[in-house]
Amino acid sequence: MPTFQRQRVLGIVVLALALMWLDSHAPWLQSVRYITGYLLAPAQQVALVPSAIGNWFGESAASRQELTNENKQLTARNLVLELRAQRLAALEAENIELRELLSASEQVDDRVLVTAVVAVDPDPFSQQILINKGGEDGVFIGQPVLDAYGLLGQVIDVMPYSARVLMIADSNHAIPVQVNRNGVRAIAVGTGALDELELIYVPNTADIIKGDLLVSSGLGGRYPRGYPVATVTKVENIPGKSFAAVTAEPSAHLDRSRHLLLVFSHGSGQVPPGGLWQGKE
Amino acid sequence: MNIRALILVATGMFLVFVLEHLPMPDILLWLQPAWVLLLVTLLVLHAPHIFGLWLAVPLGLMLDVEHNSLLGMHVLTLAVHIFVLQLLYRRMAMFNFLQQTAVVFLLVVLQQLLSYWAVALVSENMVPVSLWTPALTSALVWPWVYALTHMALARLHLS
Repeated sequence: MPTFQRQRVLGIVVLALALMWLDSHAPWLQSVRYITGYLLAPAQQVALVPSAIGNWFGESAASRQELTNENKQLTARNLVLELRAQRLAALEAENIELRELLSASEQVDDRVLVTAVVAVDPDPFSQQILINKGGEDGVFIGQPVLDAYGLLGQVIDVMPYSARVLMIADSNHAIPVQVNRNGVRAIAVGTGALDELELIYVPNTADIIKGDLLVSSGLGGRYPRGYPVATVTKVENIPGKSFAAVTAEPSAHLDRSRHLLLVFSHGSGQVPPGGLWQGKE
Repeated sequence: MNIRALILVATGMFLVFVLEHLPMPDILLWLQPAWVLLLVTLLVLHAPHIFGLWLAVPLGLMLDVEHNSLLGMHVLTLAVHIFVLQLLYRRMAMFNFLQQTAVVFLLVVLQQLLSYWAVALVSENMVPVSLWTPALTSALVWPWVYALTHMALARLHLS
């Protein structure tokens, strides 16, 4: 083995370590990731073909009876939702009126994009999923992700045709919440278990009881306001400790939902480009 | 390298990245063999004068993006892997299946260990690695992959 070969491998190792250090301490390498994502995209698309074929077979093999039943159920559900939406329209109008009276800024409806879960991270210590929409669809880092039942998490890595979502149950994740009943604020931190969140720094005297719905408060500036996050399952006041131990169960079906919504909301997550700020001033 | 060999190598690379991305139940994902590492081993053993250390950079970066690890982690492990192979390839050619399998097993364990150490060295967050399972499955898959490639090469008159 000639010496230059040894020097070369040493060079690559040092370079790789420097790259890793840079990647873990600064966000500059995002574009390298994004461009490499283009190279990977064809292989990733092909890898998803078997499951797509499986789904297709499952759908084509459903009997007429099943489809009719499902159709009936969906029609009924649709009616219920329409009814609620009608009431909501009235409430929204009333809300806007009240806000105008208070001369507060008005809330705008959020735009959403439907996406599907294509893979789950096998690592038991992190709760991440892969979705089939990416940078080409306008997905951005920090974007909130919801399912039909509540907040699910946020986008942490964007590739051209897919993105990685960190779920609220991950132990590295925290979200500012508010009790829907009375507006008490708290922070919900993931525990690593899919069915449990922890509320931290809740005073022993705080008015939180079992069954309370926690909604996002929007205070972190990342998640939009007012989406359901979790339901309180246990409140424990430990004498001698200054904070109560409160656990909650996420509203979103973290381990079951297949279709998710990406929210493009006003003032959440997205940092406006420099030009916009200058234009305002 | 002629055009047919080039197509074969490109197909192989495409295939291993498909295999890396294949959605599987959680339990099976722990058992997933290191497909890219197996391909690199095949390439270096077969044509050590063409496939050298340079291979580590593009394949390593692609693996890092695929697995969302720190950029450079797989570049490092692949570079060390190729270096060890270049030291060993003459002996590997004389080894029987069982000895080759043992070498592949040890190399995958080394790769897992290196990635764990490297991440611990440069950042605060430790990544959990499964040390033995991928090594075991990679070693079990190796003889089949090796035999299959040799058959394909003989068919295409490339050996």
